[in-house]
Amino acid sequence: MKIFKVALGILAAIGGFVDIGDLVFNVAAGATFGYQLLWVVVIGVIGIIVYSEMCGRVAAVSGKAVFDAVRERVGFKAGLVALVSAQVVNLLTLTAEIGGVAICLQLLSGLPYRWLIVIAGLALTIVVWVVAFEWIERFFGYGGLCMLVFAVAAVKLHPSWGAVGQGFVPHMDTESPVLYAYFAVGLLGAAMTPYEVYFYSSGGVEERWGPKDLGLNRLNSMIGYGLGGLLSFALMIVGGALFLGEGIEPEFLGTIALGAEVPLGQIGLLLGLVGILFAVSGAAIDTLFSGAYNLAQFLGWEWGRYRHPRGAPRFTVTWFVLLVLALGVVMSGVDPVRLTEYAVIFSAVALPLTYIPIFLVANDRTYMREHTNGPIANALGIVYLVVITLIALSAVPLMILTNVGQN
Amino acid sequence: LTETIDVGLNLLDHQLLDSEGRRCGKVDDIALEGAPGEGLEVVAILCGPGVWRRRAGLIGRVAAWLGGGGRVRIPWDDVDEVGSHVKLRKRAQELGLGRGDDRLRPYIEKIPGSEH
Repeated sequence: MKIFKVALGILAAIGGFVDIGDLVFNVAAGATFGYQLLWVVVIGVIGIIVYSEMCGRVAAVSGKAVFDAVRERVGFKAGLVALVSAQVVNLLTLTAEIGGVAICLQLLSGLPYRWLIVIAGLALTIVVWVVAFEWIERFFGYGGLCMLVFAVAAVKLHPSWGAVGQGFVPHMDTESPVLYAYFAVGLLGAAMTPYEVYFYSSGGVEERWGPKDLGLNRLNSMIGYGLGGLLSFALMIVGGALFLGEGIEPEFLGTIALGAEVPLGQIGLLLGLVGILFAVSGAAIDTLFSGAYNLAQFLGWEWGRYRHPRGAPRFTVTWFVLLVLALGVVMSGVDPVRLTEYAVIFSAVALPLTYIPIFLVANDRTYMREHTNGPIANALGIVYLVVITLIALSAVPLMILTNVGQN
Repeated sequence: LTETIDVGLNLLDHQLLDSEGRRCGKVDDIALEGAPGEGLEVVAILCGPGVWRRRAGLIGRVAAWLGGGGRVRIPWDDVDEVGSHVKLRKRAQELGLGRGDDRLRPYIEKIPGSEH
């Protein structure tokens, strides 16, 4: 029975891996550079595995979620800077996800976009308020599995498998290396989005993980995120096979769903859209809670999604306020896909502020006892600290140089 | 509690839990006492936005102003245990902690479905 439960959890993790950032950057990277950037996705997926495993282990052994650890380890002042930047990035991401939900609903229903923003906001509030949390996670996770239609589409489009294989070998064959670098940074930022680890570690604390759950933690992060990464490959392959050289920029979420329609027809389109709807809605809920987790953990408030709202009033009010703010921004008419690019690039900038304290705590014997990082976690951890520092420093200059990926 | 601890690493900024296990703030600062030449002794935990001013310069002052500037002093005698979290001997209400949550609770309770 336990294996069954673990398998269900992993299925939900696969369906929940892809969010609007992964969708936009993977398909756009495919449309612009074909399969050349597949190797970057591999690096991003290993990165999120390494750091989610670390965060989960810290949660299981010390009972501390990310922003507990950040504040204890770097102090109030630096912690406050980390908190403010995390919250700004998180709100941007939340806004982009909600915009994505409204676009999917519009493509499925044909109703006016602004009504659908309101409907999306109401629906998210009611779901979060009424439905027990374990069901929310499964519901959106399993629904997100509809996106596996993109894996089928990737095969049906008969890409040149030799070229796909070459994509996993780091190389650069382009006249615009700056744009290539911009996409590389975006793909890494999208795969390693920090809200994933805020949410994951807080969930571990809420589910009262202990040292006995370390195996489950390793399995969840390796298989859940690892297989979720396969979906990213599929999206990039679809983008490359269908849009490369056609002059089509997947600037609309509908264009992405087209990637499933061309090889598979109406049913492909429908599954693609439904999958995107579930994945992006699930990500909206994850980011919504992440914002409330971070603030509550930094200030020591009562928090938790398994607690009923009356058990954690300030936490409840925080997520509600964040939702209203995000809805307001989406209503103002900003383009969610454009917003997604900003959200991903700024989350790349904020990555070190989250991952450096986690790395320090995971090596601290007073917290972790005998469960500190082993040699592999430390070697990979350090390599990724260098990688995220480089992308944090280069993200904004690249965004400006490429005019947010436009040229 | 008379043992020696590294207050910077093991006390400051840690989570406070009241006698019922409720999360009720962080160790925002500590009050130390000791004559010259003797060891320093922790006499109280300080908690609340009013304390942030001292800890983070300008952004600390902004945060303190946003938070309303309140502060609570918890005598060291009310500290039960310093481990992964800092456990207190009394309930949050008795110590004046977690008031923000207590003030909001009546409004949240009026919304149907807040119980589950």
